[in-house]
Amino acid sequence: MTMSMALTRLYLDKATLIWNGNVVTGLDALANFFEMLPSSEFQVNMLDCQPVHGKIRVFQEQATPSQTTVLVVTSGIVKFDGNKQHYFNQNFLLSAHSTLNNTVWKIASDCFRFQDWASS
Amino acid sequence: MTRTHVTKSRCAAVSVQIAVPTQVPAPSGLWPRKEEEDEEETEVEEDSHQVNSLQRRARCWGIFQRRYVSWSETFSPGIHPSSRQEQDGDVAMRDAHVGPGVRYTPYAIPTYWRRDSFHRGDQTHGNPERERKPPEEGLEGNRQDGTSRSWFKVIFPFGIKYDEKWLLNLIQSQCSVPFNPIEFHYEKMQVQFFGENASIAFALKKVSGKIWDEENERISIFVSPSAIPHSEQKKLKSTKVKLIKVMQTQDTCTHTHSFFSHQFPPTPPRCQSHFRPSLSLQKTNIKGHEVPQRALDLQRLHSDPDPMTLDIEKGPNLRNCMAASLHIHEENMRKVNSEGELDKVKGLEPEERCSDRNPLCTTFPDKSTNISSILELFSKLLHLDDHKIPPPIIFGNEAYKKLPVCKGNVFGSETLKNLILQFLQQYYWIYDSGDRQGLLDAYHDEACFSLTILLNPDDLVPSCLHKYSMGSRNIRKLKDPVLRVQLLKHTKRDIVDFLSVLPKTQHDLSSFVVDMCVQTEKMLCFSVNGVFKEVEEVCQARVRAFTRIFIATPASNFSLCIVNDQLFVSDAGPIETQGAFSTPVPTLSSSSVPTISQEQQEVAQVFSTQSGMNH
Repeated sequence: MTMSMALTRLYLDKATLIWNGNVVTGLDALANFFEMLPSSEFQVNMLDCQPVHGKIRVFQEQATPSQTTVLVVTSGIVKFDGNKQHYFNQNFLLSAHSTLNNTVWKIASDCFRFQDWASS
Repeated sequence: MTRTHVTKSRCAAVSVQIAVPTQVPAPSGLWPRKEEEDEEETEVEEDSHQVNSLQRRARCWGIFQRRYVSWSETFSPGIHPSSRQEQDGDVAMRDAHVGPGVRYTPYAIPTYWRRDSFHRGDQTHGNPERERKPPEEGLEGNRQDGTSRSWFKVIFPFGIKYDEKWLLNLIQSQCSVPFNPIEFHYEKMQVQFFGENASIAFALKKVSGKIWDEENERISIFVSPSAIPHSEQKKLKSTKVKLIKVMQTQDTCTHTHSFFSHQFPPTPPRCQSHFRPSLSLQKTNIKGHEVPQRALDLQRLHSDPDPMTLDIEKGPNLRNCMAASLHIHEENMRKVNSEGELDKVKGLEPEERCSDRNPLCTTFPDKSTNISSILELFSKLLHLDDHKIPPPIIFGNEAYKKLPVCKGNVFGSETLKNLILQFLQQYYWIYDSGDRQGLLDAYHDEACFSLTILLNPDDLVPSCLHKYSMGSRNIRKLKDPVLRVQLLKHTKRDIVDFLSVLPKTQHDLSSFVVDMCVQTEKMLCFSVNGVFKEVEEVCQARVRAFTRIFIATPASNFSLCIVNDQLFVSDAGPIETQGAFSTPVPTLSSSSVPTISQEQQEVAQVFSTQSGMNH
């Protein structure tokens, strides 16, 4: 399995990625997007997370039990092949899907931006 | 995400790029502790799964982490968040961000296989620009015995504090591999030295952050690939001069075995009637300017298990010659001025050259195989025996992938755009007003807030830094689970009290860029990136960059009701600082707290209708 395939599997079917203002929705589009990105090296310098308030049921379909959502925020430095390095900010909404047997966490939304996006 | 890939030529080196993925330890403080859980339980969960489900989820969070490699730590463990704070404020250093990654190519002649990087012959070192180049362009020197070296640079950010012997002893005691520091020196606040070969680089990387000085402060080690150090380069040159002189005086062809002898037994060292491409032997112009050099390590080629290898078995003289730099000058075959007076070599001439000084012969019976075999070693050749070589066949995946173009705001719809912009205007009007108590109305009773910062402490007046750092919850650094919980502000009262303590600010709304991540019936999640100025006198009008994530539900009086709020403050880059506050922004009237206008009510109405929800 390629890396981009492995990455795509972390996302919900209808997940959205906003990458420096480019909106990518759905697993197929995500797979293509990651495939197209040059290889990269990330350095994470900041990490924070919060539980999204319990009364807000996000991404919930009728028949499924409650889904817990977590906000994850991160920042650091990234270097894409062939490009200069950038400070980046990224936040995820992670959604837990519980069945009788287990709980699986997936990315429901992913928002990524270079700090200096305007001059990139 | 990083990629591990291996490229192997038919003939020679293996280029291996190694990423060392590790997992971020599960944040243990994410969920409230048990005694609080019960309280939380009734408020947070309408379905009464009770404590068990929370525990299950906490465990599952761990499973999720184990199953997926979330962040790769290819960097030295010494490059932890405080590295941004450790730097001495020098802008060049900050931008260089030492060692954005360490990739090792222990066997490679990486540059041979990339046409476009062939002519980068600059071997100067100590130039931060140089060190930022991808490791594929790192240069290698050759020992006389032919083993290759990959050079890397080791930096101790505050090494100026340490005595050389003490430091080296300390590292060597922790380091699994013996190493020999080359060109150990102090530069500004740092200690720097060079080292050779990948295993040492790895070993040093491992040591970083695991050693302490006499004041019990952790010592960080930054390791990054580097060009060949100056002193080594000089040694190399003088070696080359000697060897070439030796070659000139010898009839090396008579001592040569076949270049590719795998299928053919070693032939008598006589020039045969086979096609015999000869290669020019160039010498560095030591008196004059630098000549782009690429050293071919024939000895390494010899050890490659691939069948198309050299078979060089000769006495020490020839071995040394072979291991010495064989300089190939394609487009710039030039006259070389030297003591040895090697005459101009242009193209290659068979037979007659061979009998003079050409050490390399191939003995394949057909011309095209000969050409192919030579090209596999020397892919950059343009001319061989006065014949022009056809350009290499390149497949699409060798081209550099381009990054998508960066774009501005993402709002989703015009309605939401208006809603969000109005919200932000209101919010920051109060936030910047000097009294943040007015924000109570903006938050849900049970809202959550946390703050993280990455600021250069040298840049901040202590009283200013104190205001941030007391509340900063960077769980990348903060391991104490109690503190982690405490720093997650909960309830609107706690949040607003905390916000009131932070330095007074002035936000530049024209700098804002919004990404609306999620829009559902019940909730909006968006991030705001921008800059603000600290306007307290002690803070000296510093410009900061911030990223703020809001998760909110629709509200009637404030347009949005915040349930989650995460604020990250960092240093603004030079471009952002310059551009800040340059565009005049119309301010709201200062006569009163803005009341909801008709338009805003309509907007809120639209949102409610769309969401089908009554708040």
